[in-house]
Amino acid sequence: MIGGLVQILFFQGLGELVSKLVVPLIPGPVIGLILLLAFLAIRKSVPQGVDVVATTLVQHLGLLFVPAAVGVVLFWPQLKAQAVPVAAALVVSVILTVAVPALLLRMMAGDEGDAK
Amino acid sequence: MPSNPSEIQVIWVYLSGSPLLALFLTLAAYHVGVVAYEKSGRNPVVNPVAIAVALVAVAITLIDMPYAKYFDGAQFVHFLLGTATVSLAVPIYRGLAGLGSRIIPLLVAQLAGGATSIISAVSIAALLGATPEVVGGFYAKSVTAPIGMGIAERLNVSPTLTAVFAVCTGILGAILGRFVLDFVRSKAWWQRGFALGIAAHGIGTSRAFSVNKEAGTYASLGMGLNGVIGAVLIPLAVGYFR
Repeated sequence: MIGGLVQILFFQGLGELVSKLVVPLIPGPVIGLILLLAFLAIRKSVPQGVDVVATTLVQHLGLLFVPAAVGVVLFWPQLKAQAVPVAAALVVSVILTVAVPALLLRMMAGDEGDAK
Repeated sequence: MPSNPSEIQVIWVYLSGSPLLALFLTLAAYHVGVVAYEKSGRNPVVNPVAIAVALVAVAITLIDMPYAKYFDGAQFVHFLLGTATVSLAVPIYRGLAGLGSRIIPLLVAQLAGGATSIISAVSIAALLGATPEVVGGFYAKSVTAPIGMGIAERLNVSPTLTAVFAVCTGILGAILGRFVLDFVRSKAWWQRGFALGIAAHGIGTSRAFSVNKEAGTYASLGMGLNGVIGAVLIPLAVGYFR
């Protein structure tokens, strides 16, 4: 497990480095993700330690953004004053964002899409 | 206050100064959220993240702890977001393996879905009179929160608002998703899952997994692709338009 954590942290660090030096527009962890993905594709399998650590972290992803999301207390007055535009944007946008890809996939996949 | 206020105060000052209190609050609140979620039969309305955020927000208000101080202590948890983002490579790798001829339709659907998400949310919020700061929070709201917050930092918009809108979007998507999918007569599990992953990222994905395994796998793929492609395209698109 520690070995897996070392490898993931290594790719995170590598991603930060590439982000700082080469493509500042893309967040370091995303570049780390892409590099790890490339490593897995070349290796054609997931090292067991990496699998254990990654599965644990991804399973509890929700916990990790609690500290940042609590910052909503700072925006509370602003959000309350703009409740209507915020709620409308959230609800309508999520409905459209589910509908558009689903419709496109149904049209593009043809017969295959009917298999349930 | 009990008999010896000064001693208690000393302990309190010590405890609230160390990261222990913030860490404990965060983990305990999340644990309460998870237990409530399980007890409700995994009802998407009972979202563990929303419960945890509400509990922590109330707790720090009650004990008069400034947000900055709480965040200082909870940084250990926050730091792991980056590590978790890198870890998303594993489910994406598994999803991509054995995709075959579906890759092109999926990519097209992802690009269309990602564009729909940002254009609809930003234009509706702006038209109805939201301030630019709040509108900025909508740019990356359909992108999974760890990546979305990174994008927000790069765009100089609030990562906090992005995270809050992302959580709301995830919950709404998990609740409304099946009705929307039935309405557009989407039948195949892989298509339903993928659409939900694009729109409602991690929360939608866990919802998809609880309904059907194939839907869940494709939802995590949709979430991952939306994150990676969003991280590249959203800053470019926003930079181009503003």
